[in-house]
Amino acid sequence: MENIKLHNLNINSFDRSHNSRINFFRPDKYKDIENFSKKHKNLINMGLNFSYSPVFFHKKSVSIDFSRFNKILNFNKKKKEITVEAGIKIYDLVNFLLKHKLSLPQLPGYPFITVGGAIAANIHGKSSGFDGTIKNSVKELLLFHKDKGWKKISNRENKVLFDLTIGGLGLTGTIVSATFKLKSFPYSRFLINRLEVKNIKETINYLIKYKNYKNLLIYSWNDASNINNFGRGYVFVSKPIKKNNENNIKLNFKKNYKILIPLWNSLTSKLFNYFFFNFQKFKNKKYEESFMKTIFPFAGNENYFNFFGSKGFIETQLIIRPEIIEDFFKSFTKFYIKFKPEIILLSFKNISGKQKYIRFEGNGICVTFDFLNNKKNLIFLEKIDKLCVKYNVIPSVIKDSRISKKILDKCFPEAEKFRNDLLKFDKKRVYKSETSRRLKL
Amino acid sequence: MTYLIIGASSGLGKDLVYEFASKGNNLIISSRDIRDLKNLKNDIELKYKVKVKILTIDLANLDDVKKKINLNNKFFDGITGVLFPAGQMDDEDFINLKPSLVGDLIFSNFISITYIISSYYQKKEKGIIVGFGSVSALFGRRTNPYYSASKRALESYFESLISNNDKKNINIQFYILGYLDTNLSFGKKLFLPRGSTKNLSKLVYKKRLLKNCKIYFPIWWSIIGFIINIIPFKILIFIFNFFKKNEKN
Repeated sequence: MENIKLHNLNINSFDRSHNSRINFFRPDKYKDIENFSKKHKNLINMGLNFSYSPVFFHKKSVSIDFSRFNKILNFNKKKKEITVEAGIKIYDLVNFLLKHKLSLPQLPGYPFITVGGAIAANIHGKSSGFDGTIKNSVKELLLFHKDKGWKKISNRENKVLFDLTIGGLGLTGTIVSATFKLKSFPYSRFLINRLEVKNIKETINYLIKYKNYKNLLIYSWNDASNINNFGRGYVFVSKPIKKNNENNIKLNFKKNYKILIPLWNSLTSKLFNYFFFNFQKFKNKKYEESFMKTIFPFAGNENYFNFFGSKGFIETQLIIRPEIIEDFFKSFTKFYIKFKPEIILLSFKNISGKQKYIRFEGNGICVTFDFLNNKKNLIFLEKIDKLCVKYNVIPSVIKDSRISKKILDKCFPEAEKFRNDLLKFDKKRVYKSETSRRLKL
Repeated sequence: MTYLIIGASSGLGKDLVYEFASKGNNLIISSRDIRDLKNLKNDIELKYKVKVKILTIDLANLDDVKKKINLNNKFFDGITGVLFPAGQMDDEDFINLKPSLVGDLIFSNFISITYIISSYYQKKEKGIIVGFGSVSALFGRRTNPYYSASKRALESYFESLISNNDKKNINIQFYILGYLDTNLSFGKKLFLPRGSTKNLSKLVYKKRLLKNCKIYFPIWWSIIGFIINIIPFKILIFIFNFFKKNEKN
């Protein structure tokens, strides 16, 4: 019945920093991927368009919308392994796994991204302190490259290509399917212990204290709306628990109406942070929370992002080594006082792993900021970029659409190696996105 | 119950596979590419605990169809019903299409399907046959002449099946499809809304026990179909060309 065609549409990166009219196609057969990829000079892979930075499109590349490749290909409960097509949503995968008391160790904060996107971004999630990034759970990938054809890649087979592909922003080809190692998850919800903190130092102390407690998800919410209360907030220690009457849990999701109004500003940010901080005090210090709300806090709360309006936002995510984090924030605070940036969200968690190529990975504290997208904040962030270089901090190119080639090269020791190894594999550099062109990858 | 679904790997065919499997039916799924079929089989078996067999058939190649269907005389034993959400279109399908490609379109959309149906119909006393036509067959236009002609021939064949279907206990259903939310209409500006292949699959499953039926989907195409059938051909062509001209301007 099908006759696949090239379509075009206006598309935004999720942070709304980039907009472009693009060509794309949506295959649903293996032959379509082969035939259509071969027809076009430059390509890039597209999931469900939730990438903050424009890694899934470019006006000169044809995007491959992979959302119709969403099947489960193999499942071995005993070996705790699953093979899925790359277009399957994390939400659908988790729903299937939870029925079998299993889970993917690393789950991103938003469940409607595709597995292929999660791998290309090397996502980490709330358990990254002890589970590391998704790279640790990927056993094997099937990759399609328009000139190189089909490639099975793993730590044993085509290792360089495997390393280039995980966290490689979809530049090595199309991830068609992935085999994951899973972990047991016989729980149904979480018991949250909320700990009040006065500043960032206290937050870091808690993160370090709980770092080696496996299975405890530790993350914080901190007020960054004004200098007087900078860093006050809460550390949430979430322990998975099982309720006797809950045998099978199923994720439920209600879609909200999209309200694209620019609600966030300096005043509303202060008000929101004030009320959120004080509202928490009315709740018990220990309370139970559903799997969905704990792991995927933004599902159903998408209007948080819409409240940034059509100009969008800037999310900066950094990995900072614990030994320099105090110095980093001393310098950060100086710039903060000078520029008075509007930070709507500040959060901390642990992260672990070995940094390679351009992957957002390493041992340290993962810090996330959401800024309003305006001139003042952009100047402030340029200063923070310099701090990142000074303190050897790793920024996320997936989250932050501003990062320049210069900053990438200075912060990632293997950025040039990534370029060279990618070029060795693909001399024509077929797969290109807005992000890859900006970073000269 | 076991259903044979030909053209199962994408679009409506894929949705029919999920709908029938979700109701606990075993399936034989068929299309050209074994890779698509293997993956679909695995997904269905893992999610619905039903048995799925795969059958690669190239409908454009009648010899291949004969070989697969006549592999043994017992091919249709145990098959409750056959569904044909299969079809082939070609971007170059205009009146001067290469003769070699004309054959592909006519075999895929008509001859191979009638071959399978006639084999099934002659062997079975009880069963279900579901065919799918297209509103593009309502009248001949400049685009897709060979596809539309094949679909019109198929519609005529199903009408004949229904006319002769008084001695056997076989349910024969034919759906005339308008715009659906498939790759075919994806991203296009259309003058009528698209029907959902998921809803259509549900409808096909629900109506499978009807003795004979011919249904337009989405439903508003039945009104358009009626109007087109009563307007003289010359006037129809004039109106169609007028709209085409305005579209270009």
